[in-house]
Amino acid sequence: MASSSALPEPVQVLDTSGLLCPIPIVRTAAAVKGLKDGDVLLVIATDPGIATDMPMWCKAMRHEHLATFKDGPSWKSYLRKRPRLPRHEGRP
Amino acid sequence: MKKQGKAIAMISGGLDSTLALAMVRAQGIEVKAINFYTGFCITETQRRKGGRQDGTMPQNEALRAAADLEIEIEYIDISGPEYLDMILHPKYGYGANANPCVDCRIFMMKKAKEVMEREGADFIFTGEVLGQRPKSQRRDTLWAIERESGLKGRLVRPLSAKLLPPSIPEQEGILDRALLGDLSGRGRTRQIAMAREMGLAEWPQPAGGCCFLTDESFARKFFDILGQREAAGEPRHIDRDDVVLMTTGRHFRLSPTVKLIVGRTEVENGVLQTYADGHARLMATQVTGPVGLVVGVPTWEERQLAARILARYGKGKDEPTVEVSWRDPDGGVETLVVEPERDEARVEQLRI
Repeated sequence: MASSSALPEPVQVLDTSGLLCPIPIVRTAAAVKGLKDGDVLLVIATDPGIATDMPMWCKAMRHEHLATFKDGPSWKSYLRKRPRLPRHEGRP
Repeated sequence: MKKQGKAIAMISGGLDSTLALAMVRAQGIEVKAINFYTGFCITETQRRKGGRQDGTMPQNEALRAAADLEIEIEYIDISGPEYLDMILHPKYGYGANANPCVDCRIFMMKKAKEVMEREGADFIFTGEVLGQRPKSQRRDTLWAIERESGLKGRLVRPLSAKLLPPSIPEQEGILDRALLGDLSGRGRTRQIAMAREMGLAEWPQPAGGCCFLTDESFARKFFDILGQREAAGEPRHIDRDDVVLMTTGRHFRLSPTVKLIVGRTEVENGVLQTYADGHARLMATQVTGPVGLVVGVPTWEERQLAARILARYGKGKDEPTVEVSWRDPDGGVETLVVEPERDEARVEQLRI
């Protein structure tokens, strides 16, 4: 299990406890929109689906996935917002 | 030099939508993927309940596909009253079960059109294949979906494009028709060959659809609830709590207006314990066993029967009697001492 002490202080904490996947991702996407590039977001969730969804969502959206781990009854997920770069072209 | 275009991809993460995605992106078109959350996804429900019966944990395939191809993805939550209302009044009717696939596609396409306009995209595309599904992917229904969603000419099915009239992006030179597909029918041999050719690493095997509305046992519960509402003189409606309860536990119809739900696993017992207010709950007090939830207002006989069925699924099933605590929604608690129901034929007859 990752230790939260090694993780950066989040600029914002989004609590999605009680929401069912993939709604925590829907809320995360909305929260990230309001952040500045480089800001760290902490997402708290109770649906275990976050453990697989968050790393994949970060990869698709090219944000930096810092950690997702279980902390007591809920899950904590840290990500860092990355600037949107122009998309590659012509690559399948 | 052709015009640079932008497209919205409706993806499930299955083989067809992944291929369509790769095919459009190979033409240098900027793609944004969208996926809809309807609340009826079997995979999400399995994940919530701790995985499949064989112990594996299904992943969200749309997210996986977007991650593999590093494509921006947006989730659209449509699991609200508007969607539920569409399910209850489908203009194009139901498929074999409670699945209004054509109406559902139209519903989603209208939402996709909003995204297209917001993003300034040129068209929407899907992994649909002409003739692959008996109802929603016939030539006439593909056309009806396009027309009714207001997307005329801007809804592209890249895998079957050569068999369909040229779309606006093809006419405008944004999409090269020559590089699109001519697939039709239910076979998958050509798709698999194309996937290998494009170097796609992974795709989920089709497992009879991911939607509860196409599931026979779910459909029985769905139409049973509508029947119950009608019997009770209530309007035809379904809400989110109903959807959660329909995918939880064993269901028994005790009378036209009374139903018992019995949890099958610890997770289901937790759901029955905490979800949906306004129902009576019952539980054995001296032996371990499932949680029961009763919908409707039972008679004394029906309370006895519910307690007997509940007792049958607990550790006290072989005991002469089991003590069951009955908690009414108003907080009143009653203790019933019942013999576990031993007449299997009777129990099966009540099962929904």
